Amino acid sequence: MSGSRTVRLPEEVCVAAEKWLPGKFDDLEALLTFLLTESIKEDGEKLDQAEEEMVEQRLRDLGYI
Amino acid sequence: MTRKFLILITVDCLRGDRLGMRRGSTSITPFLDSLAHDGVVFSDAIVAGVPTYFSFPAIMASRYALGLGREVLGIAPGEPSLASVLHEKGFATAAFLAGNPYLSSRSGYASGFDLFDDFLTPVSGDSPAADNAQPSALSDLNRLLQRVSKATRWTSAVYDELYFWYCQRLSNREEIDVRQLRPYPAAETLVDRACSWLNSVGNRDFFLWLHFMDAHHPYYPPPEALAAVGASGMSMSRARTVNAYWNRREIGASRLQRYREEILTLYDASVYWVDRQIARLAEALRSAGMWQDSILAVTADHGEEFLEHGERYHSPWNLPEQLVRVPLLIRAPALAPAHISESPFSLIHLAPTLLESMGIGAPRSFQGKSFWQEISQGKLAAGEPAIAETVEVRDNPMETRSRIHPRVLMVRDERYKLIFHFSGKKDELFDLHEDPEEKAAIDSELARPVRARLLRSAREHLRRSKKERDPKLALRARLRQIL
Repeated sequence: MSGSRTVRLPEEVCVAAEKWLPGKFDDLEALLTFLLTESIKEDGEKLDQAEEEMVEQRLRDLGYI
Repeated sequence: MTRKFLILITVDCLRGDRLGMRRGSTSITPFLDSLAHDGVVFSDAIVAGVPTYFSFPAIMASRYALGLGREVLGIAPGEPSLASVLHEKGFATAAFLAGNPYLSSRSGYASGFDLFDDFLTPVSGDSPAADNAQPSALSDLNRLLQRVSKATRWTSAVYDELYFWYCQRLSNREEIDVRQLRPYPAAETLVDRACSWLNSVGNRDFFLWLHFMDAHHPYYPPPEALAAVGASGMSMSRARTVNAYWNRREIGASRLQRYREEILTLYDASVYWVDRQIARLAEALRSAGMWQDSILAVTADHGEEFLEHGERYHSPWNLPEQLVRVPLLIRAPALAPAHISESPFSLIHLAPTLLESMGIGAPRSFQGKSFWQEISQGKLAAGEPAIAETVEVRDNPMETRSRIHPRVLMVRDERYKLIFHFSGKKDELFDLHEDPEEKAAIDSELARPVRARLLRSAREHLRRSKKERDPKLALRARLRQIL
């Protein structure tokens, strides 16, 4: 990890989230890091972008752009 | 006051060309034929995605499956759907789905249903008998032979062939009941449950969704359905052997061809059986005095391939007509019989159209629009081309990483069809009037304006897909999958 930041979360959210910890995550930070990492992955978006560019290129090749 | 009843029937793997198809002198869809006679039939209904998991977000939530990103499977938590909108309007709602794992509550399909029976929870005693085979000298010998056979391709093929027929001989020692062979609950089971529910619904408006799996492989129609399509001589042992052979991954299309006719017979008999059960449901509605006020829509999530392009089943690798064109019939008291053939009708428009048939507007999240007024007039003006998409899924589609692969996108108007394979960076154009079987793509130098027009539609679709993405819904759906 290149660094870390401190964020403030509502106490009740932390208490509710801690129910997910046993047997799965060491602590709240591990849980949140996992959730954020998994939920913001952009692999699909990169493919979306590449696919749009491919169609653009095809139109360009045909002389329609 | 008129009561409102909406029944949506979806048949997994039902091809568009099966409606009204005859085997000998018998139609394999006699009830649907009568429905087509009295209702509105769409000759060019096109799914928005293939297979089930890329098709149903459009059918139930009027959203292209990749509209929330390819990381998302199913309907997002809180995403409006046909069922949730009707439920909010006070409709009683029930779904009976024949055990398709992609149409589960985990994928969001239970949303809006008072009763959601996906038949995915095994009932004690219902599951096939556990394999109690004990290690034996025979199985040790088999493992040795298998290992040795891998020395050359030829010996490996000989081993596979001998082992296949040995297994068939073992398993066909006793005649077996069709109910023991089916991996999914049969249509009659779903109709029985639906009829019980209809008896309990009282005086309320209702929405009922049935999803049949009888036409999904392996194809095991009951003997009476086989007899109806002129195949009374086919035993269940033979059906098992043919299904098992058809499912062999290690052999090519040329060797499978010899079983194609028998497989088609089994498939058509399965379709016939579904038709009979839909007729039974209609009869129950008539007996209950509900038929007169019922709007019934029958369609499919995708079709099925039988080697027309070298493939079996419904793999997410290509989008031929056998997979994207499905039946669509709507029977409604207010609709005059009509045959709509002027333009393809995308199933992305089905949910908003059905909502309008109930006098209810579509939520803003729906990407399709209602064509109820046009359908009521029996004519569909040529509009935007239909779009279908899939992703070249590897391995288990339930795993997110299996879906992070290039898309295959189809754009189709009443005559031309463009398929863009993004993994190979190539597009193919077909003229469906001249070449309905899609045997030869049009040379790239020809029909440039047509190709460009359909490519522009493809570009517009990809742009809209990104622009209209609801990040909150996408995040909720991703979190559901993660946790």
